[in-house]
Amino acid sequence: MKFIPKKPRDGINVSDVHPLMEAGTLIVGLTAIFIVIALALVFIIEVALYFVPAETEARLFSDWMPDDLVTVSPADERLLQTQLLVDRLASHWAESPYEFRVEIDDSELSNAMALPGGLIIVTQGLLDQVESENELAFVLGHELGHFRNRDHLRALGRGIVLSLFFAVVTGNDVAGIGIKATDITLRGFSREQESRADEFGLAIVHSQYGHVNEAARLFERWDEDSANVREILTYLSTHPQPGDRVDRLRRIADRDGWNTDGEITALNW
Amino acid sequence: MDVTNNAIVISNTESIPGRNIVEFYGVVTGNTVRAKHVGRDIMAGLKNIVGGELKGYTELLQDSRKEATDRMIEQAKSMGANAVVNVRFATSSISQGAAELFAYGTAVRVA
Amino acid sequence: MALRFGSRDMEDSVQKVSMLFNYGLPLVIILVAYFIGSYLENRHFRNIRKREDDLHGFPVVSFDTMPDDWNATTSDMVTGSIVISLDYFKRVIAGLRGLVGGRIKTYEPLLERARREALLRMTESAREQGFDAIFNVRLETSRLANARRDGKGTAGVEMLAFGTAVKLKSRFG
Repeated sequence: MKFIPKKPRDGINVSDVHPLMEAGTLIVGLTAIFIVIALALVFIIEVALYFVPAETEARLFSDWMPDDLVTVSPADERLLQTQLLVDRLASHWAESPYEFRVEIDDSELSNAMALPGGLIIVTQGLLDQVESENELAFVLGHELGHFRNRDHLRALGRGIVLSLFFAVVTGNDVAGIGIKATDITLRGFSREQESRADEFGLAIVHSQYGHVNEAARLFERWDEDSANVREILTYLSTHPQPGDRVDRLRRIADRDGWNTDGEITALNW
Repeated sequence: MDVTNNAIVISNTESIPGRNIVEFYGVVTGNTVRAKHVGRDIMAGLKNIVGGELKGYTELLQDSRKEATDRMIEQAKSMGANAVVNVRFATSSISQGAAELFAYGTAVRVA
Repeated sequence: MALRFGSRDMEDSVQKVSMLFNYGLPLVIILVAYFIGSYLENRHFRNIRKREDDLHGFPVVSFDTMPDDWNATTSDMVTGSIVISLDYFKRVIAGLRGLVGGRIKTYEPLLERARREALLRMTESAREQGFDAIFNVRLETSRLANARRDGKGTAGVEMLAFGTAVKLKSRFG
């Protein structure tokens, strides 16, 4: 038995694929798969919304709270008054399946959110900015509009899809995703959803006060503020400009012949 | 294991029965790293409840081992060998969900 | 989502900046890892080829008994091992590949060079000790540590090569 030194050809155990090529193929392929899955999920959400009545949703989520909410003390006067205002406004939506709960988020930023199970979150920042009950009533009525159109569930679905995507991309454990309010609010609503919620909100305000005076006052003030740099960023968002919104609300009031004059109710805190 | 690969004979003993080793060339290796995919995982998870063969995994490992063997044979061919003796297989986990299938042996010429 | 005005946009820009840190920084690390990792890998492969050429002619076989015509005088077990790690870029690709399954091509060069390095170290050590050949070579792979605290990822893979080195009365021609 004779030894003849020989070397095998180099590179047999290594695939001849450039790592950048492999990365490109995977990223394109996975993105395509993700888009298909996301579209399928959006479709499933729509179907589920059709089959799951709001009563069931209200029952399932009756004690639900997002993980990242920082609430103010339950004894806060503003919390009590806002809850009472929501109850009064909701009485004009007779067939509402929800028992609305209000929470105040301890945030300086102005925002309000509609979350599953009839949970309405308003921020401290928003309450600092409203100057009359009518202004606040429209904001809350608008949220009630999202509940009636079930926009909050669609947003929730989209939020979950996006969280999943980020979990996959960043390599986090997919099972470890909690539903966070910020995930949902990041998604936003479509222009049409906002318009329909505005219309419902304005109708509620009209039923409550018999007029729609000052309902859009908050947005008028924001519009007048538009020299502010923050407003430039608003342009980038999908949300309607405060000015556009004020105009549209005015047109709705004209169309339905609602009184735009009337007594303003002061905030009782 | 399919050993009809162009007259290369492989064996896990030191010799090829009925033949004599006339020359030997050195160690040849073949490997592949495979990831299982999520779909197979889900099926295997279900199967784990009732037990029995995990067909998806059996096939995956068979495929991978065949590829490792083919690469080893390819190395042997590139050395001008016509047999690989003392072939050993090894399977090891490289990271979560990824396994390396590895085959090695000694490339020889038999007559 | 309902009202997105005023200070809401401040939040947006804060989010954009934090997104940049969360996703931009890893991206930079990935690119740096890719370039440096490729350079180091190529250099290692060149080094391996050179040393393999130096050792050309030193018999290393996996026969588990010594062939009859080897006239051994002394023997000893020799080992060679290496722990090697993969660059971040390739780990990320492997992570993506793990979602769909299939061949993790980016791990192949890692294992290939680790295995050849381990064999080389074993053979070099045998030659330094004055041996003429190695038989019954065995190769083993083991995962050493996890790159991440949650037990995922790969920080290092150990390759071990070991065999019986022998000194012969007459050397191979």
